[in-house]
Amino acid sequence: MRSPWVALVLLASTLSFAAPPSLKLWHGYRGGEEQAIEQAAKAFTAATGTQVEILAVPYDALSSKLTSAIPHEAGPDVFIFAHERLRQFHRMKIVAPSGPGLEPSKYLKPAVDALELDGKFYGYPLSIKCLALFMRDDRGLTAPTTTDALEAQLTAASNPAKNEFGLAYEAGDFYFHAPILFGFGGQLFDAQGRAQFETPAMEKSLAWVKSLQDRHLMPQEASGALVKTLFNENRTAMVISGPWFTGEIDPGVKYSIHPLPMVSETGLPMAPFLGVEAAFVSSRTTQPEAAEALAKFLAVGDATVMRVITGRQIPAELAAYENEAVAKDTMISAFRAVAERGTATPNTLEMARVWEPMKLALRAVLQGGVSPHDGGPLAGRRYRALNREAPPTTSPVPYVVVLVLGLVALVTWQSRKAKGKSFKQRYPEAGRGLAYVAPAAAGLAVLVVVPFVIGLSLSLFHHEAGEYSFVGLANFTDILTSKGYRITEPLSFYFTLVVTLLWTLANVVLHVSIGLFLAILLKEPLLKLRGVYRVLLIVPWAVPNYITAMMWKGMFHRQFGAINAILGMFGIEPVSWFAQWSTAFAANVITNTWLGFPFMMVVSLGALQSIPTDLYEAAEVDGASKWTQFRRITLPLLRPALLPAIILGSVWTFNMFNIIYLVSGGEPGGGTDILVSEAFRWAFQRNEQYGFAAAYSVLIFFVLFAWSQVTKRLSGEEQA
Amino acid sequence: MSARTMPRWKMFALHAGLSLTCAVTLYPVLWVVKLALSPTQTLSMSANPFPEAITLDHFRDVLGSTDSQGRWLFGRQLLSSLVVSGATTLVGLSLAVTAAYSLSRFRFPGKQSGMQLLLVTQMFPATLMMVPLYSILQWLGLLDSLGGLVLVYATSSLPFCVWMLKGYFDTIPRELEEAAIMDGATPGQVFWKVVLPLARPALAVTALFSFMQAWNEFILAATLLNDATRFTLPVALQRYVGEYKTEWGHFAAGALIISAPVMALFFALQKFLVGGLTAGAVKG
Amino acid sequence: MQIPLVVPCVLSTLRPLVSDVRLVGIKKSFGENAIVKGVDLDVIDGEFLVMVGPSGCGKTTLLRIISGLEQMDEGELFIGGKKMNDVPPRERDVGMVFQSYALYPHMTVRENMAFGLELRKLPRAEIDARVAEAARMLELGPLLERKPKALSGGQRQRVAMGRVIVRRPQLFLFDEPLSNLDTALRVAMRGELARLHRQLGVTMIYVTHDQVEAMTLATRVAVFNQGILQQLGAPLELYHRPCNAFVAQFLGSPSMNLITAKREGDRFVGAGFTLPAVGDASGEVKLGMRPQDLRVGSEGPIRGEIEAVERLGFDGYAFLKTPAGPIAARFEGADVQVGQTVAVMPTGDVLHVFSSDGARALRHPEARRA
Repeated sequence: MRSPWVALVLLASTLSFAAPPSLKLWHGYRGGEEQAIEQAAKAFTAATGTQVEILAVPYDALSSKLTSAIPHEAGPDVFIFAHERLRQFHRMKIVAPSGPGLEPSKYLKPAVDALELDGKFYGYPLSIKCLALFMRDDRGLTAPTTTDALEAQLTAASNPAKNEFGLAYEAGDFYFHAPILFGFGGQLFDAQGRAQFETPAMEKSLAWVKSLQDRHLMPQEASGALVKTLFNENRTAMVISGPWFTGEIDPGVKYSIHPLPMVSETGLPMAPFLGVEAAFVSSRTTQPEAAEALAKFLAVGDATVMRVITGRQIPAELAAYENEAVAKDTMISAFRAVAERGTATPNTLEMARVWEPMKLALRAVLQGGVSPHDGGPLAGRRYRALNREAPPTTSPVPYVVVLVLGLVALVTWQSRKAKGKSFKQRYPEAGRGLAYVAPAAAGLAVLVVVPFVIGLSLSLFHHEAGEYSFVGLANFTDILTSKGYRITEPLSFYFTLVVTLLWTLANVVLHVSIGLFLAILLKEPLLKLRGVYRVLLIVPWAVPNYITAMMWKGMFHRQFGAINAILGMFGIEPVSWFAQWSTAFAANVITNTWLGFPFMMVVSLGALQSIPTDLYEAAEVDGASKWTQFRRITLPLLRPALLPAIILGSVWTFNMFNIIYLVSGGEPGGGTDILVSEAFRWAFQRNEQYGFAAAYSVLIFFVLFAWSQVTKRLSGEEQA
Repeated sequence: MSARTMPRWKMFALHAGLSLTCAVTLYPVLWVVKLALSPTQTLSMSANPFPEAITLDHFRDVLGSTDSQGRWLFGRQLLSSLVVSGATTLVGLSLAVTAAYSLSRFRFPGKQSGMQLLLVTQMFPATLMMVPLYSILQWLGLLDSLGGLVLVYATSSLPFCVWMLKGYFDTIPRELEEAAIMDGATPGQVFWKVVLPLARPALAVTALFSFMQAWNEFILAATLLNDATRFTLPVALQRYVGEYKTEWGHFAAGALIISAPVMALFFALQKFLVGGLTAGAVKG
Repeated sequence: MQIPLVVPCVLSTLRPLVSDVRLVGIKKSFGENAIVKGVDLDVIDGEFLVMVGPSGCGKTTLLRIISGLEQMDEGELFIGGKKMNDVPPRERDVGMVFQSYALYPHMTVRENMAFGLELRKLPRAEIDARVAEAARMLELGPLLERKPKALSGGQRQRVAMGRVIVRRPQLFLFDEPLSNLDTALRVAMRGELARLHRQLGVTMIYVTHDQVEAMTLATRVAVFNQGILQQLGAPLELYHRPCNAFVAQFLGSPSMNLITAKREGDRFVGAGFTLPAVGDASGEVKLGMRPQDLRVGSEGPIRGEIEAVERLGFDGYAFLKTPAGPIAARFEGADVQVGQTVAVMPTGDVLHVFSSDGARALRHPEARRA
């Protein structure tokens, strides 16, 4: 039976095609920007004869794809990314410095400055992105230059009763809040370059935004889609957004673009973050000259014009502004004016650490759970928790010794058992048995067991920017002592564990009770259309679960969700599902219940069919009521079939990553995250702390292992 | 419930209850259908699950998507999804069947601990295995290849498949195999002509699960594949869902297109579900 | 004078003229459990050998060793003169009918029967002819296209036999094939089996725990207990001349009465009875009397109270409680009631004498020695 294994290797090798020699370009653009970059790449091919293979990756997935692919030689030659991650990319050694082709004087100054690191330049600046004020022309407003003027205009333009607002922007996102913070005189970093959150400007800026929201001058929980709809439907007069917003505006709407106003209290302008998108050359490219040529090609000349005209980008190249078509474009010139006042987002590592705490504080304040005064401290705590100091490196020797001793003990214990009969007598069919298992075992060993063992051992390491250091059990002690945050805070292991247990319990109870109830109804032999009902009721099982999750997330949407629409029919106010823990948790549970009850229903149906009907007849003769029959016959006889299903279901639910991650996304403030999603965040969203995440995974593993031992006992009693 | 007749009101209540449950169950699905058929890309505040205006534009966009060189992306991605899922099912099933048969029938050293290990690895969160997996696939030269994806999918669903099939094999009487041996069958013939045909319900269910798992998976596929023409459909679908902007119409249309084959397969095989699942489960 | 039987009883039987299956010193154990403890046995060509014994006596294991489904630990096996120890089952030319029939549920009756022939790659026409012939022989014609699920117990049984018949093996093995049938069917199938054996004339080895089947079907019976062959011989020989107390009690219904007695001169004296001694056994012995050879009456050497009555009609068996232990005896007439105290009387020279541990027969009744 070795043939499947051979076939497998053949299959694997035929499916992996050889890559033709050409340049690979990765980007995260959509729509017009994507078209523009494709045009530019074609022009490059026409000019040089070198093919360009383009891959568009969703922007939020691009960074992790780059950091995992490039070190493994599977990445692109050139990639386009915002400059904020430059420092990280540099530390992971995936980006190469620019050659002499880069002439700094040819680009907007803030754009080249953003690409400088320790005196060297990296990449070629393509475009800049920053925020500006969009105003509908038909409202007859003049662009406000101060916040006082703005507030006056907003008050006039808003009509809370009709759900009309003066201003709309994605207030829950720190990218949009940053200019306000700066306008109030806020500084992100202290003198030592460390992030700071507990500043008066922070409190003031939060309070100001909150007051706008409280006075219904701007909508709650605005998403990009909502902002767009409001603006197009003339239900808001102004929008704060970036160049990409021009593509969202209906063709008929006349608008103008202005710099953000000055904060009256301080006299400081609201200076937006300036993001610079650049074409970077990968450090691992096999064709450095060609890659460099492509990056430069994209950044200058015709390519720039294409990006401006088709992609509606604000060019970094100065020459582009001389172009006739560009010069006429009011949007471009308006943004250039804004950009010249802005400062590039710092490309430091510290900057990357600011986002999550800031977002947490912003949302907490805007949702009303936390006062503006406490917003800063909340962010500060989160910051300290996320950016734990690397634990001290220790010697792995004691661990290795313990491991070796353990293995030796295990082997001797195993061989002690093996005495007595000869091997051939004890296992007459061992040869055949092992031969049959071998292909599966080999596959499992390489692709499941080895990653599992590596995953286990990773928990003893600290990972930072591609470097691992051995730290012993420090990750575990940090987690278990809840270092850096209170036990009752969402980031604490214990809090998450309790949430996870609640989550598992709620789901399993609902799955089993709904599934069993429906199975009993469907079992009724006199029922017509049984088959139809059964088929309809297992639909949720057949839908891929990430689609389920997205679907329900859409349905729980505060403004556009069907759930709130149904509640509205009964005169209930729209619920902001992901703003409070209880409703967010409920939303997760509802989604997962919808997803999971059909499995239990099918299992119950199968088990119910195996119960002989004469038992019920006997019970009926004995005068047992239906309830008694259910309790005394159905339940005990279902146990052997249901118990394994429940155990399986509980393990699945315990690790049900997709639903949590996609539905509530851990909102509010990570409160509804379960252990797996928390581990995922530590691994992929918080500076790639693989070791810490692995330690979380090991703890998950221990919890489930203990649970499996308990259930083994339970089902063991069953068989006895 | 062995009653020969049932009062009319009770029957009515039963139908009413079940219809209501079905309606609740189908509501979200209808909602996706509505999004897919409506002309807008955004959600709209409405409890009505039926579309007010119908257009096939979203389906046309999703089905007709091409890349910069004018290659028909959707066609290639569909093909690559089919190849990956089909191959995963084939590879996974053949590995699982042989292994499960061996675990069910033969005694050999390491069997018990091996089976425990199988279960134990299932308790370790899969996302964390991705980091080492990436390096292993690079070592095997299978990064950015459908073959690598097939191997990973097939092995990661193996523990579940093996356990299910083993449970089912345990319920097949040994005497049947012995009768075949006495009839002159070689071990291979016993397996092919007697055991496998008898295990059909469990095979169908296992195949279904393997196929569904490979067809639906997107995290690994999105991480491992670097060529849009070889993306599987869920990865392609991911493009319509951005952090800042979700193209709901495209997403819904794509979701329906992706779900359709799985649902068809699911319903075709659903009669096996009850038997295939519980036979193994009862035996544990 | 009688010569005491001191040689092991197995050797006392005649060597067969032609040996079709020969077992030499076969031993088999599962883990710590010795199931077959050294069995020598020759099966004569064309005979119907029934292996009988209580459950766990090793008879089924022995059958499986002959079939090749089980490997022996020690010993040698010959079939048709060829050593078969390491020959796989399919090359032994042996057919087997299983206790549960083991019909392939996914195949029709026809496919079930044709399966073995197809595996041997026989021509289609030959397969069809053989299946048709077997179907006619077993009256399965109308059922050929059915699946086993749709058959009754007796029909399944016949299909299981048909599956073996079509292959025309040199040796038939049966593993308790009738135990899943009800009484009436069992009697009918017994007749059919006997007819089949006559018709085919091949060697058959048949395992059962039912001594009635053994007595009615067998050319020779092999009685097993605790992994050891106790006695081998024609049914009546075993019935009349059991070589030990186990065989004596195992064969015959109701089973033979066994009571302990002591030889005192020309008498056997036991608890509450005295019988005239026969043979030359001395000291403590076990006396065996078949219930058929005892009569209930008012006079007799053993007295006791009737505890149960099994009336077959005019006559029947009464079960007595006596000081020497329970005794079963035949009665005739209507006036036998539970609770009566009666006597039993041997109908002539009926006494079997065994050693006190029951391991050896010391004497059998004169009239039945031939």
